[in-house]
Amino acid sequence: MARREHLRNLLLLAALLGLLLALPGFLSLYLRSFVLFTMMYVVLALSWNIISGFTGYTSFGHVAFYGIGAYATAILVADYRWHWLPTLAAAAVVGALVAVAIGYPVLRLKGPYFAIAMLGAAEGTRVVATVWDGLTHGGLGISLPSAETSWATYYAMLALMGVTIAAAYAVGHSRIGVRLNAIREDEVAAEALGINATAYKLGAFTLSAIFPAVAGGIQAYKVLYIDPPSVFFVQITIAMALMSMLGGKGTVIGPIVGAIVLYTVQELTWVNFPTAHLIAYGLFIVVVARFMPRGLMGFAIDRGWARKGMVH
Amino acid sequence: MSPAARGWKERSEVRSLYLLAAFLVAAYALPFVVGIQAGTVRFDERWLANLVSVVLGGFMQGGVYAMFAVGLTMIFGVMRIINAAHGEMVMMGAYLTWVAFFFLGVDPLLSLALTLPVAFLFGVAVQRLLLDSVVGQPELTALLITFGLGLVMIYTAELLFTTDFRTIPYAPGTVQLTSTIAVGQNRVISFVMAVAITAAVYLFLKLHRLGKAVRATALNAEVAMVCGINVRRIYLITTGIAVALAVAGGALVSIQFGFNPETGVVYTLQAFAIIILGGRGHYMGALVGAVMLAVLESLVSLMIPNGTAMVELAAYGLMIFVLLIRPGGLMGVKEA
Repeated sequence: MARREHLRNLLLLAALLGLLLALPGFLSLYLRSFVLFTMMYVVLALSWNIISGFTGYTSFGHVAFYGIGAYATAILVADYRWHWLPTLAAAAVVGALVAVAIGYPVLRLKGPYFAIAMLGAAEGTRVVATVWDGLTHGGLGISLPSAETSWATYYAMLALMGVTIAAAYAVGHSRIGVRLNAIREDEVAAEALGINATAYKLGAFTLSAIFPAVAGGIQAYKVLYIDPPSVFFVQITIAMALMSMLGGKGTVIGPIVGAIVLYTVQELTWVNFPTAHLIAYGLFIVVVARFMPRGLMGFAIDRGWARKGMVH
Repeated sequence: MSPAARGWKERSEVRSLYLLAAFLVAAYALPFVVGIQAGTVRFDERWLANLVSVVLGGFMQGGVYAMFAVGLTMIFGVMRIINAAHGEMVMMGAYLTWVAFFFLGVDPLLSLALTLPVAFLFGVAVQRLLLDSVVGQPELTALLITFGLGLVMIYTAELLFTTDFRTIPYAPGTVQLTSTIAVGQNRVISFVMAVAITAAVYLFLKLHRLGKAVRATALNAEVAMVCGINVRRIYLITTGIAVALAVAGGALVSIQFGFNPETGVVYTLQAFAIIILGGRGHYMGALVGAVMLAVLESLVSLMIPNGTAMVELAAYGLMIFVLLIRPGGLMGVKEA
């Protein structure tokens, strides 16, 4: 892509981050946490997109890493009395290690089999978190001692989002991204061209696990109570997938747009229709998979509302 | 393919079968090992009788699993579609039975006469509205669509019935085989019903003209079409029967276990594990896989402390390892 476009994208990103940096002072407590969770979903959707959008390995189990990160932070803060910031690094490390352990075998599977195996892996992680009560307090969950205000978690999430967007952008616009796309389009051909598909897949998978793990950690410290059903909630995986698909997976801007749109819609509807919004989620997936395979941004390009360069 | 290459291919096929067998032996041995460590295994007479009862109960549970797994494998075999909402259809069957039992006072077994036609029509509608257009497209599209459908079903059920666990009190006694070996009455009834329904579907596929058309379509849809089979109609019938099998499974599960809208995902994964173990699209494979999974689960629940929570892990572990060792399963599907 032309250098000018990179520069423009960078400026846009900087403007967005600057706005969010100044924002919390003007927001009510409720809105601040709304923005925080929107940013969290941007992180989750973008991360999912690295393995499932760029590389074409649709994961139905990414919530596993989110939950593992949340547990890493909660255990270290509640039981080992760590300060919460270093626990985020621990969450990233644990998330990455588990990602390698899960990804190395499971990434040999393709298409729907990978998706289902990941669903099984995530459910399995939830069961382990429930059963291993010596470490995780089992089904009782963990309460964290509260200390910081919403400011700290807000800025932590903002920083994480900045890093995630930068990483997704860097991957998407480098040779790595091209190679991942090549694996998505035809893995055998990509290998024939000398791409070490196994290494690239595992790398993309691990990268896509680290950010959700950290997001899970921040979220645990934000809500101060976690238990297995809440942090290994299958709906979080679905949200990641749906936000990416809705915005347009395989792009950088798509998941961001999808996350903002969908989370806002969800926030507006769930207060009034606590169950109906989940039904709507299901319907959304059906409609997007069926009629808009390239998502909102693809839809917009087809109609000439957006230029291709803006999207990638 | 050169003879040498074919020889290598066959050897690797055989090797993966040995590997799978070794894995299964290890999987069955594991509960015993853990049980001996934890002291839940005692080789006295009472414990052995208990073991026999539990394994027998597991075997019978396998009959019910087999029934709904056959539904999943039929859809896959005929259309190459993975129905991610299969467990939700089982859950729907459980609720239909529950509604019939508590509001209309219909016996859970009699209500099958009511729920199965409803399920068949539901399946036909799903096929018409959602799946017809994605047959032959990448498997992932259909997977996403059925996944979304499953969500709609879960949360519709939550809206209607809340997340409370429901049970249907039915045939609570036990069937005493010897003085020490016993199986729950409801489980025996479920097993008998499941075997009858599965056998009926098997005979339909084997003997009836339409059943033969279904099998022909599974073998090769294009050739079937050329032979004058209305393939789209076969798709409708296949999904209808598959959903009916899932709903029947739900009815038989509901008289044994508590259920809530979110229990469906467990059944989906169990059914996946079964058909992957047996070999996707294989009718007999589903039967064998179902019994193997159910017996393994019963061993886990008997011997591993905290076993009831660990039972779910049996299905997930089995599924992932079989996919890795021998993606074709016991019956050895060549592709994938």
